[in-house]
Amino acid sequence: MIELKSVTKSYSEAAKVVDRLDLKVYEGEFVILIGESGCGKTTTMKMLNRLVEPTEGQIIIDGQDIMKMDPIQLRRRIGYVIQKVGLFPHMTVGENIEVIPKLMKWDKEKRKARTMELLDMVGLPGETYYDRYPDEMSGGQQQRIGVARALATNPDIILMDEPFSALDPMTREQLQDELLKLQDELHKTIIFVTHDMDEALKLGDKIAVMKDGKILQYDTPERILKKPKDAYVEFFVGKDRLWKSPEMVYAKDIMRKNVARTSMTRTVSHALELMKKRGVNTLAVVEKQSDQPQEVLGFITRKELAKAMNEDMKIKDIMNKDVPVISEDMNMVDVLDYLAQNKLQHVYVVDEEKKLSGIVSESSIVNLITEMITDYEESKEEKKHEQ
Amino acid sequence: MNNKASFLEFIGGRYVEILELALQHIQITGIAVGFAILIGVPLGIMITRYRNTSNLVLGIANVFQTVPSLALFGLVIPFLGVGLTPSVFVLFLYALLPIIKNTYIGISNIDPSTIEAGKGMGMTGYQILTQVEVPLALPVIMGGIRISTVINIGTATIASLIGAGGLGDLIFKGISMYNNNLILAGAIPTALLALSMDAILGFVEMMLEPKGRRKMKKTFV
Ligand SMILES: Nc1ncnc2c1ncn2[C@@H]1O[C@H](COP(=O)(O)OP(=O)(O)OP(=O)(O)O)[C@@H](O)[C@H]1O
Ligand SMILES: [Mg+2]
Repeated sequence: MIELKSVTKSYSEAAKVVDRLDLKVYEGEFVILIGESGCGKTTTMKMLNRLVEPTEGQIIIDGQDIMKMDPIQLRRRIGYVIQKVGLFPHMTVGENIEVIPKLMKWDKEKRKARTMELLDMVGLPGETYYDRYPDEMSGGQQQRIGVARALATNPDIILMDEPFSALDPMTREQLQDELLKLQDELHKTIIFVTHDMDEALKLGDKIAVMKDGKILQYDTPERILKKPKDAYVEFFVGKDRLWKSPEMVYAKDIMRKNVARTSMTRTVSHALELMKKRGVNTLAVVEKQSDQPQEVLGFITRKELAKAMNEDMKIKDIMNKDVPVISEDMNMVDVLDYLAQNKLQHVYVVDEEKKLSGIVSESSIVNLITEMITDYEESKEEKKHEQ
Repeated sequence: MNNKASFLEFIGGRYVEILELALQHIQITGIAVGFAILIGVPLGIMITRYRNTSNLVLGIANVFQTVPSLALFGLVIPFLGVGLTPSVFVLFLYALLPIIKNTYIGISNIDPSTIEAGKGMGMTGYQILTQVEVPLALPVIMGGIRISTVINIGTATIASLIGAGGLGDLIFKGISMYNNNLILAGAIPTALLALSMDAILGFVEMMLEPKGRRKMKKTFV
């Protein structure tokens, strides 16, 4: 675990570049530091490997105060990737990756085997690239080597300072995807600086939004999007962001909670009346009427009701037992897919205990989209007025 | 034609003496440049570490370079007398500036992100210096050594005035005896020496260019 306790950095009396910053990063977390240029992201990151020394406060890594550690040993335990890559131009790819292993006196075979493994991991076949020089490679390839080099001694922590921001959008996306894949396998603790919110949302388990050397909000991408703590975070995230990230919108965000329901023992006539009263076309069937969370056992639509022989038949005899259900955390893209593939007009949402929590219908999605468009238009209007 | 033939005859007759003086010439310059490397390279490195000293050090080295060589030779006589020592000392002072300056420039011009990467991954300052900075700056440093050497081969002829020996002996003897052949017998080998050292050290400089860089430069030519 990495823990920053009231860490401050100032270069002069007047201004604090990092201002009493607190941050906890647990093992295996992918944490993003984001904020406008000059807000202290790089400074915060560099204090973790002591390229910059804090003026005040404490930084604890795995229970140890880093100021009491040997900086060289500390840095060798922490991978470091920077925007400009910083490969050594006079060394081959192999030599670049093996700088620290060599200084740590690994034998030649072990070094080469590790390098080959790493090159494979970052998608550059060793046979082709081991003896290449950095100047003979594209920016994207160089940064892959940068990542491989940071992983050379298998450190638990990786610091990445805008590693992809100098790359073209296509290459950037590709490297982001590969980094995610890599992280799925390696479970490193990653601190990643960016000023690109799309990148932050895509990569981060948690995002720290920074301003003037402080963290305004430290939360999951979802909560940053949906519950921005203040106007600045909201502005920084952008109002239209949710709209652009449908995979961040989950079933529980778009479902209607007050599901019209009836119980097994009710009659067809009661069901018809309820539908009319609630203005719905479908009813969920539960064991018995109650305010407690319940399992959904079936559903009925006008189709089932029409098939009923007489008005006194019990619901349980005519209900459709083949209930489509999805979990609360299915994202909007998958929900739409699910509806389309199964040719459904609606689907029930159940919580972790399989209890009914809501319903998503085509109309609820249309409502949501309308709402978003209205928001978006409003924010555009506001911007126009501000100018 | 006649003149030329007699010059060649003249050379032929004194060829052992000329060779001896040339060797002496190489020796004087070699020692001076050698010391200049030993002092100049570390000084050049030092002023990249303590940037505020760079103007002072480069300024002082520049002064030696701007004082006319004849005057400088004269100035050291009261302290060091005449002979090999003062000559080498003055040549050493002359050689210093290009070497310090090129070392300083060579190291300063390395992309800071390269150094930062080295530091960030846990190389010590010494490891960065020896494995990254010096190898990358080496061609530029070598350029400084080449300039110093070529300048010194010329300047060393003047050193013969204070008893250093070398090819300058022939030139000055020739001047005092109004003997053009003697002057040329000193001047031509000096020029040849300077040109060939320039070519040899230029080649070394090229070979020191890091492999990854050399290939790239070729493609740009
Ligand atoms: N060595 C230094 N001396 C004085 N001020 C510094 C130093 N390093 C950084 N600063 C200042 O500290 C502030 C924060 O810098 P930092 O590099 O951490 O910003 P950042 O958030 O990484 O910005 P960017 O997105 O532009 O990289 C800036 O105002 C910068 O000018
Ligand atoms: Mg930065």
